[in-house]
Amino acid sequence: MELPTPLSAAIGAAPPLGAGAAEATPEVGCEARDRAGISLRRVTKRYGSRVAVAELDLDIRDGEFFCLLGPSGCGKTTTLNLIGGFVAPTEGTVWLRGERIDTLPPHRRPVNTVFQSYALFPHMTVRENVAFGLRMDGVPKGKARVRVDEALALVGLEAQAESAPAQLSGGQQQRVAVARALVKRPAVLLLDEPLGALDLKLRQRLQVELAQIHHEVGTTFVYVTHDQEEAMSLADRIAVLNDGRIEQVGTPEEIYRRPVSRFVADFIGHANFIEVEVEGDAARLRDGTRIPCGGRHPDGPATLMLRPEAIRLVAADDPEGRLSGLVLKASFLGSQMRVAVESPASELPLILSLPGHEATAVPEPGTAVGLAWGADDALILEPAGATPR
Amino acid sequence: MIAEAGAAGAGPLRDRLGRAAASYAGFLPAALLFGGFFLVPLAIIVCYSFWRVVDYSVVHDWTFDNYTYFFTTPTYVSTMWATLWVSCLATAITIALAFPFAYWLSRHVPRRLRAPLLVLVVVPFWTSYLLRAYSWLTILGEKGLLNRALEGIGITSHPIGLFLYDRPAVILVLVYLYFPFAALTLYSSIERFDWDQLKAAMDLGAPPLTAIRRILVPQVKPGIVTAVIFVFIPVLGEYLTPQIVGGTRGVMIGNLVVNFFNAAQYTRGAAISLLIAAFVIVLLVVFRRSLSAPEAYGA
Repeated sequence: MELPTPLSAAIGAAPPLGAGAAEATPEVGCEARDRAGISLRRVTKRYGSRVAVAELDLDIRDGEFFCLLGPSGCGKTTTLNLIGGFVAPTEGTVWLRGERIDTLPPHRRPVNTVFQSYALFPHMTVRENVAFGLRMDGVPKGKARVRVDEALALVGLEAQAESAPAQLSGGQQQRVAVARALVKRPAVLLLDEPLGALDLKLRQRLQVELAQIHHEVGTTFVYVTHDQEEAMSLADRIAVLNDGRIEQVGTPEEIYRRPVSRFVADFIGHANFIEVEVEGDAARLRDGTRIPCGGRHPDGPATLMLRPEAIRLVAADDPEGRLSGLVLKASFLGSQMRVAVESPASELPLILSLPGHEATAVPEPGTAVGLAWGADDALILEPAGATPR
Repeated sequence: MIAEAGAAGAGPLRDRLGRAAASYAGFLPAALLFGGFFLVPLAIIVCYSFWRVVDYSVVHDWTFDNYTYFFTTPTYVSTMWATLWVSCLATAITIALAFPFAYWLSRHVPRRLRAPLLVLVVVPFWTSYLLRAYSWLTILGEKGLLNRALEGIGITSHPIGLFLYDRPAVILVLVYLYFPFAALTLYSSIERFDWDQLKAAMDLGAPPLTAIRRILVPQVKPGIVTAVIFVFIPVLGEYLTPQIVGGTRGVMIGNLVVNFFNAAQYTRGAAISLLIAAFVIVLLVVFRRSLSAPEAYGA
């Protein structure tokens, strides 16, 4: 968001935005550069008195791998259904490449969905399943056959074309669902927790496959998940949803490094939260320690957020140390060492994560230590129990 | 060599036959029941239908008279056609009511309320068939509930006899009596359907009705066929309902069978019963592919 550096290159994902994406996908018109692939404008969906999605504003770029991330009941599937057409917005509009689509029924939208249950048609073969959408579009038989073969090759299921869905494994069924949706060459592919029903190993393998497929076809993917690791590893950008509202939209790194709320900081990765009082340009901790915080925050109660790996362990008398404390427990976990430090500045022990290969010695419990971190690594967020912004 | 091979082959063959006989022995009770209570009586009826009655007793004279008599008597032929259309209509209405009900039950009713509702569907079975049919007299009759309600509201000034003693009343009561069979069968079939498939079909470009025709109907077809058979076959042979609420204008083929047997015209009665059986066989042959045994017994 405010963060200036483009981080996608460092993560190794496909170029997510703007001119780069437009060049990579030639079928996208010039106006797509300034027009988002999908736009939701102040979309609200109410079920009776329950608000599923509230005043959502969201722009998803053409060709992007976009994740809707959040706990169950946060409105992410409703958002997906609003794009797919299975849910009509109570208020607001939905746009696809500059055209309004919220008034169109699902079968008229150039959008296809991979359902969590896959929803394969059990009375048809794999080939018939994949061909269904083309038949509905009236694509001539010969042409349809070629495209079905292409789609099946894309997901590596040529050999299972004549099987019934019930004869396939869960992972294969998932691939059929992807092929069936992609064969229609949709402007947007919606995926509703598509790997939710699979075991961890298979899920990780299919994540890589989905990323490859996205890279190959260049279609916009909108992917719903509650698994932050899955979202981080797949997405160009992530929208974190909570309670029907968007908390934050950004690249995985932005969201991890610059969360805008306690919720986001807590939901993505691990975080230490210290209750503080902002006074002018510093935050006062409960033991009186003052930590400079740039003065951009209103005075009053707030939260200081520190990622476990942002904290370094220094000698107790090291002037770099911003806080002092006693080691409670240190655990060696292979790739990292986790150290819990009790400090008078924080109500809860602070958790540090040190790289495993650097940690020469596991500190003894009771050792007095100093805690240091870079000035940018500490974030001031809203206090506990308050709503952000 | 050959002799040896033959001797060697005979042993296993006998063994095989012995084993086969042993494995089929378990069917014996069922075969006896089926033969004794179904095949033998059926054979007797077939024979009866080709015999004659002389002076109130059956004479073993082979003849087609019973059939020619039936088909040359206009009243009987028209009763046969009426029975067919009444049965078809009653079945169609029953399915047309039971399908939305089953759909509603499996899609819009919370899981915990479904079992109680299904019990309510079955509750009428706890009272006797006769009672259920007779109770309609008190609703449809000249001094029945319906007429009194109409008079009460002021729509009519005098009782209307139209509701009773005609085919509409017969169809109404038949639909009422057979609705539970259809509802249970259809529910067990629809309940297993994954509704995401309809969403998926629409997502892939199928308009709603096409999605239902292409995706839902093929998968619940065995349930629909089973329900049709469960309703149509017994309705075809109904005689109590037409007798109770149908009067003289509601006569069905089953009433003819009863009348003939009451008049000791056993051979003519047998011929007509076989006509009903023939319709049933035709129906089963037509639907034989779609009828699935698990569906029929799952309900």
